[in-house]
Amino acid sequence: MDDFERAILLVYESAGGGAGGADQALLSQAIEFCDRLKAGPPSALIRLCLDRLHCSPLVPVQFWCIQSIHDIIRLRYSSLSQANDLPLLRSSLLSLFSDRPLPASSPPFLKNKLAQALAALIRLEYPSSWDAPFIHFVSLLPAAGAAVIDMFSRLLTALDDDLISQDYHLSPEDVAAATCVKDAMRLQCVPQIVRVWFEIVSLYRSSDPVLAAATLDTMRRYICWIDIGLVANDAFLPLLFDLMIASATPEPLRAASAGCVLAVVSKRMDPHSKISLLRSLGLGGVFADVEMVPKLSDLVIGYASEALECYKRLGSELKEASSSAMVLLEEALPSVFYVVQNCEELDSGNVVQFLSDYISTLNMPSQKQTVYIGQILEVIRGQISYDPTYRNNLDIPDNVGKEQEDQMAENRKDLLVLFRSVCRVAPDVTQLFIRNLITGALSSSEVNVEEVEAALTLFYRFGETVSEEGMKTGSGLLREMVPLLLSAKFSCHSHRLVALVYLETITRYMKFVQENGHYIPNLLAAFLDERGIHHPNLNVSRRASYLFMRAVKLLKAKLVPFIDTILQSLLDVLNQYATFYWTSKDLKYSGFEDGSHAFEAIGLLIGVEDVVLEKQSEYLAALLKPLCQQVEKILGEVKVQGLEESSPKVMSLQQIIVALNALSKPKDMVDFLLLINQVICKFGTSVERIMEEIFPKVASRLTVILSSNPFSSGLGSNTEELRELQELQRVSYAFIHVMVTHDISSVFIAPNNMGYLDSIMQLLLLTSCSHKDVLICVQIFVKLTKDWCSKYNGEDKVPGFRRFIIEKFATYCCLYSVLDKSFDFRDANTLVLFGEIVLAQKVMHEKLGDDFIVYFVLKGLPTTHCPQDLAEQYYQRLRKSVYYARHRVPASKSLARALALACQLAHCAKCACVLRSCASAPAHNTSARPCVCALRMCSCNRATTPLAASRTLVSAPHSPRDWACLSYPARLGLLIIPHALAPARHAAPRTSTLTHTAPRATAFACHTPALVCHAPAPRPRAALCLRPAHSLLMCRAPEFHMIAHDPDASLNFSKNSGLLIL
Amino acid sequence: MALPNQQLVDYPSFKLVIVGDGGTGKTTFVKRHLTGEFEKKYEPTIGVEVHPLDFHTNCGKIRFYCWDTAGQEKFGGLRDGYYIHGQCAIIMFDVTARLTYKNVPTWHRDLCRVCENIPIVLCGNKVDVKNRQVKAKMVTFHRKKNLQYYEISAKSNYNFEKPFLYLARKLAGDSNLHFVESPALAPPEVHIDLAQQLLHEKELADAAAQPLPDDDDDLLD
Repeated sequence: MDDFERAILLVYESAGGGAGGADQALLSQAIEFCDRLKAGPPSALIRLCLDRLHCSPLVPVQFWCIQSIHDIIRLRYSSLSQANDLPLLRSSLLSLFSDRPLPASSPPFLKNKLAQALAALIRLEYPSSWDAPFIHFVSLLPAAGAAVIDMFSRLLTALDDDLISQDYHLSPEDVAAATCVKDAMRLQCVPQIVRVWFEIVSLYRSSDPVLAAATLDTMRRYICWIDIGLVANDAFLPLLFDLMIASATPEPLRAASAGCVLAVVSKRMDPHSKISLLRSLGLGGVFADVEMVPKLSDLVIGYASEALECYKRLGSELKEASSSAMVLLEEALPSVFYVVQNCEELDSGNVVQFLSDYISTLNMPSQKQTVYIGQILEVIRGQISYDPTYRNNLDIPDNVGKEQEDQMAENRKDLLVLFRSVCRVAPDVTQLFIRNLITGALSSSEVNVEEVEAALTLFYRFGETVSEEGMKTGSGLLREMVPLLLSAKFSCHSHRLVALVYLETITRYMKFVQENGHYIPNLLAAFLDERGIHHPNLNVSRRASYLFMRAVKLLKAKLVPFIDTILQSLLDVLNQYATFYWTSKDLKYSGFEDGSHAFEAIGLLIGVEDVVLEKQSEYLAALLKPLCQQVEKILGEVKVQGLEESSPKVMSLQQIIVALNALSKPKDMVDFLLLINQVICKFGTSVERIMEEIFPKVASRLTVILSSNPFSSGLGSNTEELRELQELQRVSYAFIHVMVTHDISSVFIAPNNMGYLDSIMQLLLLTSCSHKDVLICVQIFVKLTKDWCSKYNGEDKVPGFRRFIIEKFATYCCLYSVLDKSFDFRDANTLVLFGEIVLAQKVMHEKLGDDFIVYFVLKGLPTTHCPQDLAEQYYQRLRKSVYYARHRVPASKSLARALALACQLAHCAKCACVLRSCASAPAHNTSARPCVCALRMCSCNRATTPLAASRTLVSAPHSPRDWACLSYPARLGLLIIPHALAPARHAAPRTSTLTHTAPRATAFACHTPALVCHAPAPRPRAALCLRPAHSLLMCRAPEFHMIAHDPDASLNFSKNSGLLIL
Repeated sequence: MALPNQQLVDYPSFKLVIVGDGGTGKTTFVKRHLTGEFEKKYEPTIGVEVHPLDFHTNCGKIRFYCWDTAGQEKFGGLRDGYYIHGQCAIIMFDVTARLTYKNVPTWHRDLCRVCENIPIVLCGNKVDVKNRQVKAKMVTFHRKKNLQYYEISAKSNYNFEKPFLYLARKLAGDSNLHFVESPALAPPEVHIDLAQQLLHEKELADAAAQPLPDDDDDLLD
């Protein structure tokens, strides 16, 4: 071994990273040595490599040599001399493929690497500089023997992989090079090569089937671009069919021949020619052989897909042609079904895709097609069934069971989509199919878990496609099937999977029970007995408890006659729940479905108005007593033991409290308020009198509702009760908002109602400052300021209100709350709120004049440590903005300035900076919106430079609730692309920046019909029409020419627009 | 190829090659198991690093020598030379960067040229990131080439074991093989909430169906 070999070996072996300290120096030396060789003169390196390739026995050294040659061809071709290097390279490589081959025992990867090197040379030289390579092989083969044939196949494979195949990410240069080589080959040697293939396969099919298969695998890659007649002819097809059908053919060779036939079948051509081709193949006979069909699954499905494609493309106009396509298709269909059911190693994705396509062509299924649909249903049923091997793993789910369940959920996705299309096309066939499955399962005692689970899953999914009306009346067989289901008890009902899907299914068809009340006892039994809440599996019983609660919600009054029965059968469960001792292990599993829904259900039930009050309290007492006793007991223990060690006890307590909560009757005022709101919206000031009368009653409730705090987070905050309260609060604020905006704020200050004013105002103020769902509160204040703050004859319209606005609202809501950390400029809602607050300041200035300014600037701002000069500026700007407003300067411009200033107040220098630029941009009435975008951009903490800021904006994830602003980043994102990309160093970031933008731009596109936006890789490109009627803005890679047409210059963003460049 | 610098172990061990574009999270992924150290910053791998990853199966312990290859070098280093004698492989792409998926066929091709017929897992990493570019539906490459596909999130440990389990089963020829204890992983840095993610997607789709407010006037004026 010499230094060269030693160095290469060292480098390979160093990969472990564990070379000791002593070797480290040697290793760096070796790396440096290799690198130096590679960087050195290519002529010398080629000669060295060719030499060592033959004389070194070490595989890593050989590999390194071929790799180096390959690299020189790829990367340093132009530095090779035409006179010496290239002729040497050509002849040496060719002879490595023929007369001086690598030893037969060489590992395949060396041969592949060699093929790669020669393919690279062919790409650069064939045919203009070097037209010999293919002719060289054709003249030698097949006589030259197996080794040369093998190398030839590898060469053609490498050529396809590295140049011709379109499966890879190709550049335009790649495509051009491939076209050049293909064209030359077609002219020069393709027929000869095909003849060689034919001879090789005929010669070696028995003696060396691996070689024959490799040859066919290579040929398969070429069929898509060579003359199809060279293969689809009387010589080659019989050979391929013979190999495919003969039982003696080794499987790899059979697969390779089938692959070639599939390539012929899939060849792109017009549908008429395709039909003749398919017909001429005569595959019908092959498909009739049930022994053979499972081995040819890809061919079967590929053939059927092609026939279907022809049928679709020919459409209904060409009846004759399309019906012959249908004949071909139907010839293959039985084989498709056979393959799906008998072939384990099948790519089900392809099959499902094909079947979905097929179903989509059926409008009014004929009788024959109905049979096929039945078979498709059978396929779906088979594919969605669990493997019985895992029955126990799935019953009480362990890791294996969970894995199976996840896997199945994944597998089912596409199949259930297919099922839905079947339901739509043939609902009756589907119903009948499911009915038979269910009755079959019920009549047999041997039926297994997996079959029942699959049948019920289909029944459940079928419900998705039934209309509301069909659900209520029980269209078709449903009238019979739902009652059958309600009374069904399967022999394997104790299995978790069966019980769960059973409960989900009866819940899905509950509307039928609602309309057909005589089935209520059956429904109740299903929920309450051992199929539901009394199921031995905790998972099932808790789910049942939740679903039962939903049933109660739907059926409510209809269940009143059954209250006693329900309570009776739930008593043990409820007691168990209250006394359930939580262990630490249970804590992990206690989530949403904790079983408390049974209490909620009963709470709902006994709260139904039809139940007399006396009876209500009787039921309640019966339930409350044990709960209270339990609470006392736990509290007693906690006192002794201390709380920390007993977190399970805390959990138990919490559970009981949740249960108590759930029992309480929901106070439903929402409907009432919604109605009133509608009335006010419709009749406006004409209902003022009525409102004055009813207001005291409403107000007393409002103050109670609004003063409770439903937003406290923590365990249990998800309960229905709290959600209802939140909803109620929202509606209440909406109620006040509606009153104010419909000019009946006078109702608040009517003599009878004045008493409530103070507390309502305080609550509004509190909410205004808390940044939660408060936009309308601020709007209420803005409107009230307009209504109530003008002076009448020197008197306050509403005594004390001016002071309240100046001292409380202006200071707390418009200043302090903005400075609070929770005021997050990255949140679109906050931004909108901020806009509202700025507006409020403007209105206050208009209505309250100097009283407001003096207090705000002299008292408010100093408390926030605002520098004097900024306060002064703010004062000036605010005055000006009012001036602008009065002098019809577009409001958004003055607002932008106010915004900039307010930002400055908030010590956000960057925002202010950007906004100032916005404000100084050419005046137009849409500048406000870019301001928002800019603000948004700069409010991101990470934004250190405008460029970074623009990137941040483009790449910042926007949650869906930012929807209101989604279009702005889309617009802005595209505007800033040139800036974002100009200094980008690599190609990759470019694309990613653009592709980041695309979804948002596309999102925007959803709303603007004329908008076009696309960014097809590899060349980033985007076009965006900002407003269909006015502006078109395009940017195009790589130079990003931007064209802006806009008669109003409403979006005057040229490439160097000042808008985003600071 | 022998690994003279690796400690040999007396239980089955396999050479696993991890390939994929730079920045897709290959190094991050293997480091979840090894040291629990999680690199937040992107550091292009230099050459190759080999991490011995042990797993406990019902048939005993096995070890994967994970060869973490560089994603970006074009000229230096050994490149596909590192694949030699690879017994199984993971091809990684980043679901938030479309180009990394487009390059998967190239990685697969280069790998298969050196290692014929080895089990390969395709992994779509970073599914915890909300802004996905490659949706699960768009991933079809594995179907054509008979690979197994998993969505993973190295940051949250989501599905960390799945690729290894699949490879172990293939290598052992036992589809019922399973891991009996979890390897020590670095604590998740983000928590992936798939339900939440689905919800987000649905919300986004719903939102897309909503009409957008007329124009500029709703916001500030």
